[in-house]
Amino acid sequence: MHFDWPYFWHQLLEPNGAFLEGLWLTILISIAGQVIGLALGLPIALARRATAPFLTYPARLYIFMFRGTPLLVQIVFIYTGLAAAGILRFQDWHFGAFTLAGNVQAGILALGLNEAAYMAEIFRAGVDAVDRGQIEAAKSLGMPPSMTLRHIVLPQALRIVLLPIGNQFNIMLKNSTLVSIIGVSEMLLVTETINSATFRTFELYSVLALYFLLLTSVWSIVMHWLELHMDRRPDHITAPTVDTALALTEA
Amino acid sequence: MEPSKTLVSAEGVEKWFGRRKILDRIDLSVTSGEVVVLIGSSGSGKTTFLRCINHLEKIEAGRITVNGFLIGYRDRRGRLVEDREANIARQRRDVGMVFQRFNLFANLNVLDNISIAPIRVRGEPRDAAIIRARALLARVGLADKEAAYPASLSGGQQQRVAIARALAMQPAVMLFDEPTSALDPEMVGEVLAVMRDLANEGMTMIIVTHEMGFARQVAHRIVVMDAGRIVESGLPDQVFGDPQHSKTRALLKAVLH
Repeated sequence: MHFDWPYFWHQLLEPNGAFLEGLWLTILISIAGQVIGLALGLPIALARRATAPFLTYPARLYIFMFRGTPLLVQIVFIYTGLAAAGILRFQDWHFGAFTLAGNVQAGILALGLNEAAYMAEIFRAGVDAVDRGQIEAAKSLGMPPSMTLRHIVLPQALRIVLLPIGNQFNIMLKNSTLVSIIGVSEMLLVTETINSATFRTFELYSVLALYFLLLTSVWSIVMHWLELHMDRRPDHITAPTVDTALALTEA
Repeated sequence: MEPSKTLVSAEGVEKWFGRRKILDRIDLSVTSGEVVVLIGSSGSGKTTFLRCINHLEKIEAGRITVNGFLIGYRDRRGRLVEDREANIARQRRDVGMVFQRFNLFANLNVLDNISIAPIRVRGEPRDAAIIRARALLARVGLADKEAAYPASLSGGQQQRVAIARALAMQPAVMLFDEPTSALDPEMVGEVLAVMRDLANEGMTMIIVTHEMGFARQVAHRIVVMDAGRIVESGLPDQVFGDPQHSKTRALLKAVLH
């Protein structure tokens, strides 16, 4: 097989405008989806842990549905299914010179809702991993449950879930390619478009893979720095963190 | 001396774990300023009873009052129903507790560990709470550790901070659940010294411990538990010197050889 090295280097080092726009869209979609996932994940986790049936059962159903069906199906369902059912039709949003297309919104929403289910399970495990003795001590001092959660449990749980959350964002970066199915011109769809005109599949997908490696590498460096920073802090919680974090990552 | 009044009262307290009876009709009343030490072999129910006093454990029968107020339950037409969390939280303010494993808040430094409850729970002004926290730290001999985090302290230091944290809520009674059992031997003394000072200052204390020497010196009353019951109670010299119950004799023989 012939590998066109000049073409490969050209695409890698001097990517065209469409590809760079795809790169930005990949980053935007991933970050926005992760933010939604984080924002929804914590309340879903707390609802899931609640004893009240009207809280825990909807949360359990949510997690069951979003973890139990393919993300690709969810993306199509949210974009075309909701519109077909007459529930929600995604319109383009304009903010001055910037436009957020309807399918991009749908893609971000789908990634975010899916991510929220995984975030909820990570947060739940993180909260459960906080030593029971911490909660008993807070109780013995007269703290009501909400105060204990906010000042004692959550700060410690966030430390525990940092590593698995970082891991999830790595997955998010790559899962963002799935929104190409609804025509969002992120990196994969741009690559595929160029491919359909040039048939330089191997070269183009090599470039695509290297750009994803670049993104995930940058993220790894950020995570590494965050962990070092946390380790240096004097309140670093040594004993349970590493093991629990590993267990959560594998969960 | 003012007439002593009943501060903690337990009447007919029963506790079950499933079908196993852990506490069997416990009656105990502790007067203001009294130091009561609970002893008994492991599994005798002494720690469980202590935890019932601030409702860290539910009880299946009987009642516990502190300062005359029912703990954990409300009397609804003669039947006791479990109270709302917010009310239980309020009842716990008067009851300080020191745990075997210290349980200092890992995400807060020493000063914040001591001052968080006065500030958040009692609404004390921050400045005043910090001043009191520093005074308490000095009292337990750790004035130089206010910025340290629990993980960097020795077990003995952590337990002294934990005592200061409980005292910061100005409780009417202090519960100690085997406060020296998780400590290296060389650190037991520093914690017992702090507790001895507290007793001398007239703090009401209920202590679960295996430190028999300390119990004999500091306690006003020794209560011996076995299989969920109080089998004997009396003055330290009486219980240690002339134990009446066979279980007490067996226990003392096992720990005092």
